[in-house]
Amino acid sequence: MQGQAGKRTFEVEIIPPKHASDKIPADLQLFADKYKRVMDSGFTVCITDNAMGLLAFQGHECIEYLGLPVKPEQLSIHLNTFHSKADLVKLLDDCNAMGVRNFLIISGDGSDRLPKLQPHEVEAEGTASVTSVELLAWIKKHYPQFKLGVAFNPYEPPEDEFEKMERKIAAGASFIVTQPIIEKNAIVDELLEKYPDVPVIIEAWMSKKLHLLSDAVGYTIPEDTPFDPLTTLEQLLEIYPQCGFYLSILGFKTQYGRVEELAGITKGGDAQ
Amino acid sequence: MRIVVCIKQVPATDDAKIDPVTKRIVREGMKAVLNPFDLYAVEEGVRLKEEFGGTVVAVTMGPPSAEKALRECLSLGCDEAYLLSDRAYGGSDTWATSYALAKGIAKIGDADLVICGKQAVDGDTAQVGPGIAAHLDWQQCTYVSKVLSFDCNELVAERMNEAGSDRVALTLPAVLTVVKDINQPRVPSLRSVLASLEAEIPVWKPADIGADVDKIGLNPSPTRVVKTAPPPPRSGETLHISGDAAQAAAALAAKLTQLGFTEGK
Repeated sequence: MQGQAGKRTFEVEIIPPKHASDKIPADLQLFADKYKRVMDSGFTVCITDNAMGLLAFQGHECIEYLGLPVKPEQLSIHLNTFHSKADLVKLLDDCNAMGVRNFLIISGDGSDRLPKLQPHEVEAEGTASVTSVELLAWIKKHYPQFKLGVAFNPYEPPEDEFEKMERKIAAGASFIVTQPIIEKNAIVDELLEKYPDVPVIIEAWMSKKLHLLSDAVGYTIPEDTPFDPLTTLEQLLEIYPQCGFYLSILGFKTQYGRVEELAGITKGGDAQ
Repeated sequence: MRIVVCIKQVPATDDAKIDPVTKRIVREGMKAVLNPFDLYAVEEGVRLKEEFGGTVVAVTMGPPSAEKALRECLSLGCDEAYLLSDRAYGGSDTWATSYALAKGIAKIGDADLVICGKQAVDGDTAQVGPGIAAHLDWQQCTYVSKVLSFDCNELVAERMNEAGSDRVALTLPAVLTVVKDINQPRVPSLRSVLASLEAEIPVWKPADIGADVDKIGLNPSPTRVVKTAPPPPRSGETLHISGDAAQAAAALAAKLTQLGFTEGK
């Protein structure tokens, strides 16, 4: 997932069509276009799992239906705790058969419409609810061939977040994706020092609407806060040369070309 | 075995508007969803079909846009869907609606069981299911939380009541209304959703189902909405408790005791 040595590479988030959409076929086509473009760039496609608790189609079923190529090292699928056990097993089995190998395991956002995994379903003792730790441990046990990553939130109380990260690593996590940062972050620096052998992928916020990050950071960012995502990304690339970068809410029309340039890719798709 | 599930398309709860003159829901331009309780009715129908065989038919009365809710039912495992849609149905209250649905169920034919959600979240009456049973002169059981057994002649169900639950045996055909405890609705696959978009959904006007137009619509409906008003604002205050975890917990416990929610030490 780190791309070829010596080149910068990116993990690009793609959101699958939502069930509530009135234009599912068009949404699927857009999904396919973005998927193919990211694959062609040599980047990693990262597909969300019912983001924000909104019911969406699963990434693997979109890939299968659309006949999209699966390149295991260029594909990562998010998986959260809001699934029935039957759906979870089917999803993992289907992904395994398709050749998917990378998963980002997160607790996720629930809703009334989404079932929640129960502790006994993932062989979790002594816990009232299933978090990413229990889900990851269960997948690691039953699907050891998968490479499993976890999330890190530098805006949570550090003591709690690092304690949770210890448990995630102990459960089998082999890469870490941070919440979005927009500048050098002392907590992320601490994470890098603490886990020098675990690949850390930093999320860069690619929307100009910085205030949408208010919930994530835990304080209100004024709506009129000026923010230049591409300039910020360039700065972060310099600050954290050892890290991969996860790009959420990337503008494919307005930003993608510049991201390819930052990766040293020419218009033809070849690396310089 | 044929199971009919009656569903309703309702405004998304974050998008509902009331016409100040007619006191009815303004349906034009609103976001609409399948009534949340009806998801459980559909799921139960599909589960019974999967266990005992047969078919599940979804039916609703509503504007042409209600077809979308029926397609969702098809994506969830229903085999057929029918839409009762015509201006003549407009303004029907729960009695007139249940009459039309009963006629639609009769037109579908050979139903062994009708399942409805316990109520729709727009009107909150919980009357349509029982109304259908009354019009069909079938047995009914409301607030069903579990189907214990089901065969060609009898269904045994557990129904919730204020004190706990009842175990009820019904001779089929019968009508059930179900609560959320009954199951966990499935999430449809991409392929089932796409297939549902291609399905043909017949639209039935009153004449198609043999409905008496003098029993449907606004005027024949015995209910009159005299007045609607928003609920009074909730009273209460927000209390911010500071200090470390132990101090905050102690302060919260003391406050709860002071308010009478706990007895204290």
